[in-house]
Amino acid sequence: MSLSNGAILPATLASGTVKKVIEINKFLLGTMAGGAADCQYWETYLGIQCRLHELRNRERISVAAASKYLSNLVYSYKGMGLSMGTMICGWDKTGPALFYVDSDGTRLKGDLFSVGSGSTFAYGVLDQGYHWDLSDEDAQELGRRSIYAAGHRDAFSGNTINLYHVREAGWEFIGNYDVTKMHYDGPGDVPGAPVGGYGYDVRIKTV
Amino acid sequence: MPHQERRFNPYTENGGTILAIAGEDFTVIAGDTRQSEGYNIQTRYAPKVFRLTDKAVLAVNGFAADGNMFVQKVQQRLEWYAHAHNKPMPLKAIARLIQTMLYAKRFFPYYVYNILGGIEEDGSGAVYSFDPVGSYEREACRAAGAAQSLVQPFLDNQIYFKNQLPPPGGAHPRHLPLNDVLSLVIDSFTGATERHIEVGDGLEIYIVLAPNKSSVELERLPGVKRIQGTFDIAGDASPDVTAAAAAVGVTGEKMFVMRRELKKD
Amino acid sequence: MSIMEYNGGSVVAMVGKNCVAIASDLRLGNQALTIATNFEKVFPVTDRIMLGMAGLASDVLTLRDRFRLLVNMYTIKEEREIEPETFAHLVSSTLYEKRFGPYFIEPIIAGLSKGSNKPFIASTDVIGCINFAKGFVVCGTATDKLFGVAESLWEPDLEPEDLFETISQTLMNAVDRDAFSGWGVVVHVITPEKAFTRYLRARMD
Repeated sequence: MSLSNGAILPATLASGTVKKVIEINKFLLGTMAGGAADCQYWETYLGIQCRLHELRNRERISVAAASKYLSNLVYSYKGMGLSMGTMICGWDKTGPALFYVDSDGTRLKGDLFSVGSGSTFAYGVLDQGYHWDLSDEDAQELGRRSIYAAGHRDAFSGNTINLYHVREAGWEFIGNYDVTKMHYDGPGDVPGAPVGGYGYDVRIKTV
Repeated sequence: MPHQERRFNPYTENGGTILAIAGEDFTVIAGDTRQSEGYNIQTRYAPKVFRLTDKAVLAVNGFAADGNMFVQKVQQRLEWYAHAHNKPMPLKAIARLIQTMLYAKRFFPYYVYNILGGIEEDGSGAVYSFDPVGSYEREACRAAGAAQSLVQPFLDNQIYFKNQLPPPGGAHPRHLPLNDVLSLVIDSFTGATERHIEVGDGLEIYIVLAPNKSSVELERLPGVKRIQGTFDIAGDASPDVTAAAAAVGVTGEKMFVMRRELKKD
Repeated sequence: MSIMEYNGGSVVAMVGKNCVAIASDLRLGNQALTIATNFEKVFPVTDRIMLGMAGLASDVLTLRDRFRLLVNMYTIKEEREIEPETFAHLVSSTLYEKRFGPYFIEPIIAGLSKGSNKPFIASTDVIGCINFAKGFVVCGTATDKLFGVAESLWEPDLEPEDLFETISQTLMNAVDRDAFSGWGVVVHVITPEKAFTRYLRARMD
């Protein structure tokens, strides 16, 4: 998800430790949902093409152009069974930008997206907490809290959360958070986070 | 009468299980040797683990015909690389090569799960696991195949110490010693053999040691055999021979194979 | 999708030295959606017998009540407590009554017999075929994983506390690799002197 002073990119890890956020380059991040190999392979490939663009044009590719490159690419394979639901996120001349791209050929620009089996759970938290003017810390906390909700309620999401923050100077890796630890104890000493665990039973102290 | 479509099915599932664990300065890659089709055992000795280079071993599991073909193609690419560059391909490069080779057949996949194990250029033990179309990841341990669901949670518990409290004031060890790892591998396979019909007959464990790791203890164990490689340098090579070898990427990793019997019922 | 995986959940029981342990996860799901994390699947039958059931949650509750009725009737008629082995046969015949439209649960029975304090465990399939296992029995959506871990961790003649640790580690590590089980774990250990129940701090995702 993105906002005016930065863009936050949360993602869950399902198969244990698979990196669902792919670092395309210093300014571009891609998320993984659907076919792991499809996302990993084509987002790596996208990274190569973005670098070639840089070498040819002496200028970094825009997020819009990068996401459209991927969108056109997967569209050329339409009907052949590629499965990707991805968010391309970064910072360019126009500021922060976020695009949703999937293997049907859909490409959407937006402020807020959530993709994957747990996306509905994340949207629930995201929508009630989102504001265009969120501070860095509050935005990070909202991202963390949203993915926690998905990790807790969705059988196919969970394990750990990787949180990235995209700013003008490129993306920054904020941290890796264990969902179970967040449930019982909270994310730790993190700006913007409440004291104590997120779990309902933990908050009302029935355990 | 509804129209019945008949279609040739090019794939079979041949059972068996593979497993790899990375240590600080070694890697263990293992597989059972049973090959089956349904309830029929085709052979009690069909290797699923293969030496690629002096420091890389590949285990393949799934559809045996695809697996054997895939290993041959990887070995061919590695030979071309060695001839072109006069050095063996580094492990992380082999991992990426395997990804591109698997994804090249995205629309008619090799029906195999691959686990690549060996020694990285920095001397650390490494395991890379792949899905059939090339998604991959570096890990400390991984099981795949028929008994993956039996073995992996056991490994989570014993290798990653999942659901175990660290000793007071301490932390869980990041890497286990070779002897502990070998015991866990053997326990995993005897356990899987007991509860899964497609696992059994024989166990083949490849052990790759980093250049500076002593092999004295390992060679004392029963059923352990050293494997000599093409790029191998003798243990007592003079310093300038060793330096010359290091210049072309030959750094003195040692590879061993350990064979154990598993139950045949 | 199979009805046996509709709600998720797993149960395991183990024999120790003059003791038995039985444990379950606490998840109640609707396919991938986790509805509740306090759904127990193990119930007391007598002071020294417990019954665990994994499968369709509505049948778990129905059969819990049905077995309470049947055991009460048995106690009144016989004027004595039911023995674990007898109860296993009661479970078996109750399930076989519905041979052609079965309850969608797999039960596990764990207990100590009255006189000798002999540990007893058993499981059956959905239509009541009894499995008198010696060491451990498992059922539910994490069956494969439970077999794998239990086969390597369990050993004969464990003392109550060691048995508790073994069954806890077995269940927790198995359900952590199963999407449909977990979200909390409860363990019961029965010894001739006492029985105790512990809720474990398990993964919540």
